[in-house]
Amino acid sequence: MRSPASRLGFLLLIVVLVVAGIGPVAAQDPVEVMIWHMEQPTYRVERLQELIDEFNAANPGIVVSQEPQNWGEIYTKAPAAVAAGNAPEILFAIPDFTPIIRAVGAVQPVEDFVAQMDEAHTFFPAALESYSYDEHVWAVPMWNMAQSLWYRKSVFEAAGIEPPTTWDEWLAAAEALTTDGQYGIGLPANRNLYTDQTTYDFMINAGASEIYNEDGTLRFDNPATVAAYDFYKQLYQYSPADSSSWAWGEAEACFASRTCAMVLQFTVISTYETQAEGDAEDLGVIAIPHSDAVEESGTISYVNAAMILTDDPAKQEAAYAFLSFLLEPENYGRFLNMEPGLYLPVTEDGSTAESYWQDPTVVKYQSQIETMLENSRNGMLFGFTGGHTFPTIAQISAQNLLAQTLQSVVIEGVDPAEAVAAGQEAMIEAIE
Amino acid sequence: MLDSWRLRRNLGLGLAVLLLMLVVIAPFYWIFSSSVKAPQEIIAQVPTLFPQSFTLQHYDNLLQSSAFPTYLVNSAIVAVLTMIITIVLSSLAAYGLYRMRFPGSDFLFRIILITYAFPGILLLVPLYEMLSSIGLIDTRWALVIVNVTFAAPFAVWMLQAFFRSVPYELEEAAALDGASRLRIMVRIMLPLTAPGIASIAIYAFITSWTEYMFASILIISDANRTVPVGLAGIIGQYQVDWGLLLAGATVTTLPVLLLFGLVGRNFVDGLTAGAVK
Repeated sequence: MRSPASRLGFLLLIVVLVVAGIGPVAAQDPVEVMIWHMEQPTYRVERLQELIDEFNAANPGIVVSQEPQNWGEIYTKAPAAVAAGNAPEILFAIPDFTPIIRAVGAVQPVEDFVAQMDEAHTFFPAALESYSYDEHVWAVPMWNMAQSLWYRKSVFEAAGIEPPTTWDEWLAAAEALTTDGQYGIGLPANRNLYTDQTTYDFMINAGASEIYNEDGTLRFDNPATVAAYDFYKQLYQYSPADSSSWAWGEAEACFASRTCAMVLQFTVISTYETQAEGDAEDLGVIAIPHSDAVEESGTISYVNAAMILTDDPAKQEAAYAFLSFLLEPENYGRFLNMEPGLYLPVTEDGSTAESYWQDPTVVKYQSQIETMLENSRNGMLFGFTGGHTFPTIAQISAQNLLAQTLQSVVIEGVDPAEAVAAGQEAMIEAIE
Repeated sequence: MLDSWRLRRNLGLGLAVLLLMLVVIAPFYWIFSSSVKAPQEIIAQVPTLFPQSFTLQHYDNLLQSSAFPTYLVNSAIVAVLTMIITIVLSSLAAYGLYRMRFPGSDFLFRIILITYAFPGILLLVPLYEMLSSIGLIDTRWALVIVNVTFAAPFAVWMLQAFFRSVPYELEEAAALDGASRLRIMVRIMLPLTAPGIASIAIYAFITSWTEYMFASILIISDANRTVPVGLAGIIGQYQVDWGLLLAGATVTTLPVLLLFGLVGRNFVDGLTAGAVK
């Protein structure tokens, strides 16, 4: 005869076993997907969270969450997280960041999913170019950013000049617009990514967009590159003295405060709207002027994309489901408009989506955004041009060698030909 | 004649102090005054010394619409814990090193200073892997451990001058009365070296409050982010919200100013202790 205590203990044991046994079966854990992105301003995080909440509500088996990171640290942080097994399932990227994460063995090929999305939404061809190499596609294109030349129409009218389309006109405009209290143009000469970008704008428009030969050797040191650096130097004399320490924010402030008559930027809309007069009629945007060496203007453009870092099939499927949700036209515009006027669509149906064009800021600056979209169609990125992709560009980009070369020309006064030759040597060293 | 010389000397000293105050206070004034200007005035072509517009919108955005209050709380927790642990560890270590005779104490002292001189960036990846293996990535404890590691060596060195200034006879008398080592330290040494303790407290607090590199790598989630990293994020990359940045800078400076106001004099005493015998 068992005692009441032992019977109670036996009963408890049964309960524990049953609970332990049926627990996982009765309530299967949802698949968790963590996203790391670099869209840290609060309003961008909030917009993405709205979309995440909608997705999670519609997909009970998946829990998506986000952790915003910073571009300044992600190049160190992400490889460390991959090495330690803490990597997120989705990591947003720009083209020259992908090879770095690929090198630590974390990036999964996504060509099958990209093909599905292409069939459903039709990616612009340029969107895929910078992520397609080594027989795979390494990230899902999400949005594009392209630089343009921004100015105030009233300032040009007052000076009696037309917006420039060629380098000669551009130089003349910068000179004419340099008056007391106003610089003709704001150009950076810092050793940072912004200066890399503006320098490459000049290279594209001088016919020097190819940094590599087809065999992967460098062709940075060529007469067209020298011409680009030389012209940058000529224009730089009409830029504020402190522009050697600028990043994007300072250039925008210079434009918004009417200190700079022209700037090269991805967009100035948000700053112009909140920190300047916000007169959409007066805000001008055009393609970046080109030299006689090329027939039409081009610009640097960055297709931002989402890399998948998990090899777990269930997590991959969940990640694809979320990215697919974002690319649906009814959601895509809201996603892009987390920063209205900065992020441009990379899909055909996205570029005509109501959700994109109905945002109040986009409505107000519609003509400017249409011009930005038009400019972005001639976008390219160093190391990812001409149907080739050279992942070693990540080393060149990480050291800001385009900007370093520019500094030696415009600040140290080195002859452009000598500086470009030295720049190529520095690139060879960086790659080796 | 003598009065005239004194007058000139005092006038010169006064001017020098005024100039120094201007140099020190001007940046703080500029940051604060700009933080209450309207966005257009902040970036105006001709800067205004006194705000022509007055607005608290940047503070409102900072405290109501961003995660800054969370960052502030995280920074405060990490800094206070860093401060307390640094005080406990470094005062025990300093007492052991400078008041107890044992073989190799000089060598140990030098080793501690070498630790202080070691560049933190080299430890980033190994530290990340170590902290990850014990599950401390994305926790405030990770930052406390790192901050104490970097603050304690200098704190130990700073305390040595104070500990050396306390006569051995006091310890011997207490020992004769039967006091233990720990009791001697707590009841005699610490009260007598209070300025030194205050110095290392403020040093550890500021080291932690301003630490950026490890906080940016070891913390993943917004919920655990500290002020320097959080602020860098919310101001944006391509579009900088200057008002938000200035309001954030002002609020970030306040706790440090407050702490300096309370124990700043001791900090100066601490840094100069032992300089003149």
